[in-house]
Amino acid sequence: MEYFIQQLVNALSVGSEYALLALGLAIVFSIIGLVNFAHGELITVAGYAMFFAAATWLPNPWLALPIGIGGAALAAIVFEKVAFRAIRNASTNTGILTAFGVSIIVQNVFIIFVATRPKPVQTPDFLSSMITIGELTVPTLQVLETVVTTIAIAALLIILKKTTVGMAMRAASKDFMAVRLMGIKANWVIQSAFIISGILAGIAAVFIISRRGAVDPFMGSVPVLKAFVACVLGGLGSLQGAVIGGVALGVFEVLLQVTLPQEITAYRDAIVFGVVGLVLVAFPQGLLGRKVELGDKEA
Amino acid sequence: MNHLLRTARNSALPIIVLTAVGTLIYFFAEAYQVRIAYAFFMNLVVAIGLQVFMGNSGVVSFGHVSFMGVSAYVVAILTIPLALKKTQIPDAPFGLGFVQFDVVTAILIALAVTVAFAWVSGLLIKRVSGAAGEILTLAVLVICYVVFNAWIDLTRGPRSLYGIPIASSLPWAMLASAFVIFVAKFFRDSEDGLQLRASSENMLAARSMGVRVERLRLKAWVLSGFLVAIGGVLHATYLGTIGPNSYYFTQTFLIMAMVILGGMRSVSGVIVGTALISVGSELARTLENGPMVFGTKLPTMFGLTGFFLGAVIVLCMTLRRDGIMGDDEFEDVLRNRRASKAAKAAADTAAQAV
Amino acid sequence: MLELSNITVQYGVVKAVRGVSLKVEKGEIVSLLGPNGAGKSSLVSAAVGILPVAGGTIRFEGTDITKKPAETVVAMGLTLTPEGRRVFADLSVAENLHLGAATRKDRDGVAADIEKYLKMFPILGERYHQTAKTLSGGEQQMLAIARSLMSRPKLLMLDEPSLGLAPRIVDRIFELMLDLKRDGLTMLVVEQNATDALGISDRGYILASGSLVYEGDAKAMVDSEDLMEAYLGSGVH
Repeated sequence: MEYFIQQLVNALSVGSEYALLALGLAIVFSIIGLVNFAHGELITVAGYAMFFAAATWLPNPWLALPIGIGGAALAAIVFEKVAFRAIRNASTNTGILTAFGVSIIVQNVFIIFVATRPKPVQTPDFLSSMITIGELTVPTLQVLETVVTTIAIAALLIILKKTTVGMAMRAASKDFMAVRLMGIKANWVIQSAFIISGILAGIAAVFIISRRGAVDPFMGSVPVLKAFVACVLGGLGSLQGAVIGGVALGVFEVLLQVTLPQEITAYRDAIVFGVVGLVLVAFPQGLLGRKVELGDKEA
Repeated sequence: MNHLLRTARNSALPIIVLTAVGTLIYFFAEAYQVRIAYAFFMNLVVAIGLQVFMGNSGVVSFGHVSFMGVSAYVVAILTIPLALKKTQIPDAPFGLGFVQFDVVTAILIALAVTVAFAWVSGLLIKRVSGAAGEILTLAVLVICYVVFNAWIDLTRGPRSLYGIPIASSLPWAMLASAFVIFVAKFFRDSEDGLQLRASSENMLAARSMGVRVERLRLKAWVLSGFLVAIGGVLHATYLGTIGPNSYYFTQTFLIMAMVILGGMRSVSGVIVGTALISVGSELARTLENGPMVFGTKLPTMFGLTGFFLGAVIVLCMTLRRDGIMGDDEFEDVLRNRRASKAAKAAADTAAQAV
Repeated sequence: MLELSNITVQYGVVKAVRGVSLKVEKGEIVSLLGPNGAGKSSLVSAAVGILPVAGGTIRFEGTDITKKPAETVVAMGLTLTPEGRRVFADLSVAENLHLGAATRKDRDGVAADIEKYLKMFPILGERYHQTAKTLSGGEQQMLAIARSLMSRPKLLMLDEPSLGLAPRIVDRIFELMLDLKRDGLTMLVVEQNATDALGISDRGYILASGSLVYEGDAKAMVDSEDLMEAYLGSGVH
């Protein structure tokens, strides 16, 4: 029982991480149809922001957390301004390839100016502590990750429901032209979406970095692949889908980790991608996606 | 037959030029230059192979480098001498630890295995379109990479396999790229290629005219998988040693930049793109190592090659989305130039007459 | 108030509108008529800035807005209720109205306006918290108009407000437009339903194949059977 609960907490925390990243991807995709390959680099930027802050002027690991999140949000704004604005109304292909290019550039900038080797980053000590409740001992980080993700999702829901920008984002995901006819600036809506995706990626980054204790130029690639999978699983562009897809993926991964014999666990990611591939073939719009007929208006 | 001849005529120019340059390098250049030329022709094979799918179907694929990997691993496992195999992969499954084929047989088997793999994966890929389909191609890349790393009994995992008989040389790579150029152009201008290209521009219209898009997409996927597999063979039989990292993102970046810069819808474009990227990344690599310029040693800057490739992709997408050649092949460019010359001459004559 | 001079709108090589000039004066209702595909929607879409103009100039209250994007034009007081209504289907009626007022900072004014339009369109009050996709076509049209009004436009362009609606609802919508005129709103109405539109209009323009073929007084146009036959065909019933 204790083992079961520990693994459940573990699964939820992994799922939360994927959900945070997938949500960011989904928000941007739903509004401008961009498959943001460079989303993983937001994590990397957050990581290096924390690393530099700690190494230079702010040796307090507590301050590293908001700096990481802010760094990711800032990077998201810069990506949008510098690269994605120029291709805003272009095809999905152009978007996916541009984002791919941005991702390569960012990785290599860190290789050029920092190093390929991992660099250690210090996070507050309590993140690596354990919580004991009666018989049960679980890592603080895992509990916190689930709690913070839940709060972040709740905050996002409030923004989407109650604020003008939130309503505009929901409206823009279906009909951007009509949103502009309300006098709402396209740039404002799109930038807000990027900032939100950056903040969510930054939050995920804090947890990822606390777990790894180090940053390297490629640290964003694996998480973003998982986030893609979560998004596709839930139906690209669906926000609920992204959350459900992320949690489902986390649970599935931990389940594989726990139940598979040792020699097969090395194949875990291959199995995950394989299963997702099969799901996609059966449900091309994802498990929760809306079926889009050919000839439908592209939102 | 007609189509064969026309393709032969249209492929002649690039093939002759490439062969001439390649031959000069082969006979007169330094060994390291020959190596660079070999890499160029090998990447050309892979890039054109990728073009056959991406350019005709309009679907971006991140998975093709895996076909290179599959064929390279099959060649390696089948040709490495038994004694070396015993030290590297003693527990190889299916009794593969005790067989050794001659290179030609091994290559044929490698191509067949890759085609079979392309066909099976294609059955899934063809059914999912749009962004989800493209993420599915990414899944192919990741799955293959994981398997290359994890199936240690067969592939030696993350460590390199070595001892593959070195059977290839620059002329073989030149021959292979000539073949690949011909096949790619043949497919592009074939009935299937035309219909597939039409469908990539307007899926609804193509479907309503009875084009069986999925079937054509599968065809292009398998054909391009076959061509890329040739690239894998060239890789394994020249280097003599392979590892999983050669068939992952780095190689994907490189090939993608080549295809995009020249223009993914045109075979000629890919040739141009491959040439430019090869030269460019060679320059970047030199700069990376901190060369001496005017007596000062520049600092080493690892990552410059990758930065260069990423910048090429982003700049291309923002400034010239269709690549250098757009929809045109070399023969189209020549014909247009001739046509505009003729038009100008006609206009001049008319002007004189007045 | 709104002055289009020599406007051309192009889709690739196809010209949808060829050098059309028209004017709307303050306090008027002007009809823009013509058969399907005449370029009416393209013209008003270009005027509000959601389609690029290939040639000509657009002035609104004396300011050149030819190159201004829709969001700026709307904030200046020129709004379009688009063809097919385009209400935000997944948002509630309340949220739709709220978004309509996105350019405004006066919270109290917005609240007062919402109250006012709920009185004008009582059905929207009943459906206030329902999502827009649950509304009938006529209700959606009313929501679309109310949503446009929330930005307090000086000139409202309506693209085919009667499209696909039952005659009773169409009458209701045209009555509403007269009410709005009385409140001082200027309107440009794109319609295929020529008789009804001219009935509430001061002046009318007829567009055919992208060119202006007639302009004149609305009363005179309705009375001229030849004109109605020639250009508006099925419009006369």
